[in-house]
Amino acid sequence: MTENEKDMIEAEPQPEAPKKKHNRFVQYFINLGARIKGWFVDKWLAVKDVFKKKPKDEYAYSGPELSKGEKFRRGLKSQSGWLFVAPALILMAVFTFYPIIAAFINSFKIDYSSTTGAFKGWGFDNFVHVLTGDTGTAGANFVQCLVNTLVLTFISVPLSTLLALLISVALNSIKRIQKAYQTILFLPYLTNALAMGAVFATFFKIIETPSYTETVGIVNIVLGWFGIRPIYWIRGGAEVWTLGSLTIPWAKYIVTIIYEVWSGLPFKILILFSAMQSINKQYYDAAKVDGASRWTVLWKITAPMIMPQISYLLVTGIMGGMKQYSAVVGLFGETMGQAYEMGTMVGYLYNYIELGQMGYAFAGSLMLFVIIMIITFINNKITKKRTTYR
Amino acid sequence: MAKNKKTGEAVVGKWDLSAGDEGFDAEKVQKREKIKHIVKNVLVYTFLTICAVLAFLPFYWMIISSLKVEEEFRESVPTFFPHTFQWKNYWMIFHQVTSASSTSATFGRILANTLIVGLLSTFLGLVIIVITAYAFARMEFKGKNILFAVMLATMMIPGELFTASNYITVAKLQMTNSYTVLILPFLVSVYYIYLLRNNFMQIPNSLYQAAKIDGLSDMGYLLKVMIPLTAPTLISITLLRFIGTWNSYIWPRLVNMQQWQMITNWVTGGFVDRVQPDGFCLYPSGNGSDYGTTPLDTLKMAAVCMVSLPLLILFIFCRKYIMRGVSKSGTKG
Repeated sequence: MTENEKDMIEAEPQPEAPKKKHNRFVQYFINLGARIKGWFVDKWLAVKDVFKKKPKDEYAYSGPELSKGEKFRRGLKSQSGWLFVAPALILMAVFTFYPIIAAFINSFKIDYSSTTGAFKGWGFDNFVHVLTGDTGTAGANFVQCLVNTLVLTFISVPLSTLLALLISVALNSIKRIQKAYQTILFLPYLTNALAMGAVFATFFKIIETPSYTETVGIVNIVLGWFGIRPIYWIRGGAEVWTLGSLTIPWAKYIVTIIYEVWSGLPFKILILFSAMQSINKQYYDAAKVDGASRWTVLWKITAPMIMPQISYLLVTGIMGGMKQYSAVVGLFGETMGQAYEMGTMVGYLYNYIELGQMGYAFAGSLMLFVIIMIITFINNKITKKRTTYR
Repeated sequence: MAKNKKTGEAVVGKWDLSAGDEGFDAEKVQKREKIKHIVKNVLVYTFLTICAVLAFLPFYWMIISSLKVEEEFRESVPTFFPHTFQWKNYWMIFHQVTSASSTSATFGRILANTLIVGLLSTFLGLVIIVITAYAFARMEFKGKNILFAVMLATMMIPGELFTASNYITVAKLQMTNSYTVLILPFLVSVYYIYLLRNNFMQIPNSLYQAAKIDGLSDMGYLLKVMIPLTAPTLISITLLRFIGTWNSYIWPRLVNMQQWQMITNWVTGGFVDRVQPDGFCLYPSGNGSDYGTTPLDTLKMAAVCMVSLPLLILFIFCRKYIMRGVSKSGTKG
């Protein structure tokens, strides 16, 4: 659909000057109706566009008239693409399309049993139970998991992006042994989240026997130089604030954020650094001629030029953060701290799948889906406004 | 605009326009610039060195811890180089059997599982990705665009939404505790199909017509022209898929018992100083260092090394391909 057509649709419902002046509320609804109509016309045009006949292929057959059998045979042959996509399509039907539908349907079944398929009726019971935490088992609490996920994501993602920006700027400004720094900084790029989580846990862990403490761990030793008493960073149920029915395991938040910043940095540095390298050198030369200071160059040239990459990193980081799981399991074990105090939303799903309470798992996964959709939507709204300079 | 303090004349950038008769001290300016440059460089290099050390520290700590004796690991002041190298830690984790029951697995079994599943799922997945991408890039059939749009739309949905349903599906099909269940659900990767299709579409059509005139079939064209031309992308996809299998954790844990699980599941186990059938154990009781059934961090670090080092080595040797793939897809497998 061309821009012209779009303009036409939007312009159509509103004539230049309405003859009769309506009451403000009435006018509001008239406008609303016009916009809704416009929306439908818009979609209809898009659908029509899909089904529009393609212009004739210049290599198409243009010989003498074919017999009916031959026509059918050729018609069938032209559809042989379906044969090529069939394996992928079948697999996706079973493991992608069906699960989407099933998740939507099953989340509304009350007391759904996955083994027999029996359920008591339809309703929002699963969602209510999930949100109120009334699941009847010692599983994770949804609100707790949601809070954990949001806190961890919205601290660690901006933090690591900012740090990556600093490192890339520094890396971009040096000439000697740049390659060596680059290689070392990219090392944490491909790591097994669970394995490295276990390594990070040893930095923070206090090892003690019932009678005495053997070691308080490197981090506590360093903090001890500043007179800070050893903190139980890893042990479940220690170092928490309570906030109503929520627990805020602040020590574990700090550990997780440090680990996530460490493991998230290389990818972000890679993206930002290569973006900086590809900025046209002419801009910098021009700035030099104009006598711009280093900071001016950074904020007026480098930053706007890599803005698309920064927003890309923030969005993908937040999306990934909403789905975080293995970092926390690597650090705090399979129960994610004591009784899922460090549970994440994905951890919540897996917990209830393992407990066999599929209804809650479905409801939880649907809510995760909605949250991610909301973030996608907000992101689309924001990125549409932004101009790119490239 | 900045002004000269004495004369009030305009200063353009670094050059003082009024400095003409008083003498523009180029040497002084140069000196100041030089000092500024050195200070800046010292700061930048210090900052980068600190970052590099912090980036590398966990790897170093992992390796030295895996070689320490448990007593040394638990010393109140940690050592940054092992006094004595205990290579037996590795021997112990290779022979570690989590329990006496028949469902437990040794490292050999787990590694075999991971390699079999990794190779099979990478190879089969690649075949499916290539032929699907080819169909979408080069063939014409009814509903192609709609089908492609629908497939792309599924990428917006978080994969976690599928897990519960897929778990029920494989349980109903009685596929649990097998390799099939680890391979089948993840064979199709829409993103890689999309990536490869775009790659295929960049190949000019004239090449296709030339190949046709030379009597090459469609399949021959795919194998002899398109695949060699898109080899870099294919290598990236292969590596990322294999790494993805190597790191898979939750799905194997949900659907399979220990015997059929993958290497990442193995590493999360607690490694203890278990007495071997021949009576060997690392810390025999009686000399004050009996750890009984407490999980030992040195053994755990040895296991972590076994999982992490292959990835690190792969990364060092195939950095170009992996980075290309990751920077395009933004995922690790």
